[in-house]
Amino acid sequence: MGEFGIIIQVLISGILFGTMYGVAAIGLSLIFGTMRIIFFAQGTMIIFFAYICYWLFTLIGIDPYLSLILLIPISLLLGMGFYYGLFKEAAALEQKEVSLLIAIGLMWAVENIMTRVWTADPRAIVTAYTSWILRPFGINIPFTRLIALLIAVLSAIGVSLFLKRTRIGTAVRAASEDMESTTLMGINPHWVNAVTFAIGIGLAGIAGVGLATVYSFDPMYGFTFVIMSVIALALGGMGNVFGALLGGIILGLIYNLTAYFIDSTWANAICFVVFLLVLMFRPQGLFGGAAQKV
Amino acid sequence: MLEVNGIDVFYGDAQALWDVSLSVEEGAIVALVGSNGAGKTTLLKTISGLIHARRGEILLSGKSLSNLKPQEIVGRGIIHVPEGRRLFSSLTVLENLKLGAYIPRARPFFTESLERVFSLFPALKTRIDYKAGSLSGGEQQMLAIARGIMAQPKLLMLDEPSLGLSPILVKTIFELISALNEQKTTILLVEQNINQALKIAQQAYVLKTGKIVMTGRGDELLANEEIRKAYIGERVSKR
Repeated sequence: MGEFGIIIQVLISGILFGTMYGVAAIGLSLIFGTMRIIFFAQGTMIIFFAYICYWLFTLIGIDPYLSLILLIPISLLLGMGFYYGLFKEAAALEQKEVSLLIAIGLMWAVENIMTRVWTADPRAIVTAYTSWILRPFGINIPFTRLIALLIAVLSAIGVSLFLKRTRIGTAVRAASEDMESTTLMGINPHWVNAVTFAIGIGLAGIAGVGLATVYSFDPMYGFTFVIMSVIALALGGMGNVFGALLGGIILGLIYNLTAYFIDSTWANAICFVVFLLVLMFRPQGLFGGAAQKV
Repeated sequence: MLEVNGIDVFYGDAQALWDVSLSVEEGAIVALVGSNGAGKTTLLKTISGLIHARRGEILLSGKSLSNLKPQEIVGRGIIHVPEGRRLFSSLTVLENLKLGAYIPRARPFFTESLERVFSLFPALKTRIDYKAGSLSGGEQQMLAIARGIMAQPKLLMLDEPSLGLSPILVKTIFELISALNEQKTTILLVEQNINQALKIAQQAYVLKTGKIVMTGRGDELLANEEIRKAYIGERVSKR
């Protein structure tokens, strides 16, 4: 393979890598929209579902992709449970930092429970198709990464349709603009928040399966993951489903290109520099219109 | 229909309303007037449950609204069109109207309400797929009122519907309020445009620094020397 072929390879794996962050960023964007907090536990929840997927596979032998049938409803319900159990009281407060602290506390609790249950050793799911590689035009595309990309794109389309086509989806969009005014429409703000959480955690369930089939993971990886997703969100701009996905993809590209052209040890540092530059010069994100009024 | 009985309202430790009582008869237009900061918006927010009164009670058709959440009060038929319109500007006109008819009570009447809205505000019909934020100020105010009508209100509370509009549009808005009232919608109107408000109101209350200082028929208050000097004269002399 020539130099050009390698660069194409780097770009493609960057895209495949970045979609994971994109899916997590969609969840962050939704929850930020109605709750006005960065949901720091998002990455950890993704890891949590990766472990559940791992358990279902190793203990009962359920195929990771098939386990989505179970994981999607479980994660949706868990999201709703989190809202009513942990965030409902705090959501009514003016001080949003209470909700933020609860999210951070949840992250730590889940991280440590996972370490207790599954130990801190990295785990990975190895199936018959883990090592499958597709070779269109001589480019290597691992099968599991391609499926992860497909799952990510389908989730983005699904969430977008939900927000556009359903009554409660429209209410979620309205609430991210003006919660009080939404309440004056007779819409229960707790229901809107709970639905938003359900979708956010639901996306974590989906991303967990994508992650578990592609990478090895350990309980503490969630924090790195959520930070990268916040960068993806900053790149894509708040309140835009496909922007968030695209932000993740761009982040994956930046990461891989840095790793290839400079050095992989610089990749994280460059991602954070880009993050700062975006916040300084284009706080509305790369694809947003004018800066949002808050 | 609506009875407000002796309510005290506080923001933290600061008292905003003192022993305020007011009643709105079914089918009437009741105006609530007073200068900036008199507590008009606070009173509407208390009725719609966004703020809770520390003392006194609010009744709708004899049933207490105390301790109800805002969305439950909307469910009972009290619709608050807030000051500054508070539209969902990134949503389309139609989406805003759909959310107006969100409550279960209003949903079966959606098509009917939409026709009513379009006959009152023909300008909105041509704009249904536009984002609410792209409308002109006058159109936005009409959309805000239209969104309220979509909820099939028993009582429609309008907070400063004429604020920031050109004199011609102000006239249009007041004509619309009268037209709405003729269609049997009960209206509680908060206005700084006291002259216009008193002209269309059957009953009016004057709020001053958190207290009701005067009440009477709209035309009585309009003729009242004190009112003319304190509020209407003030507006004229400012120009």
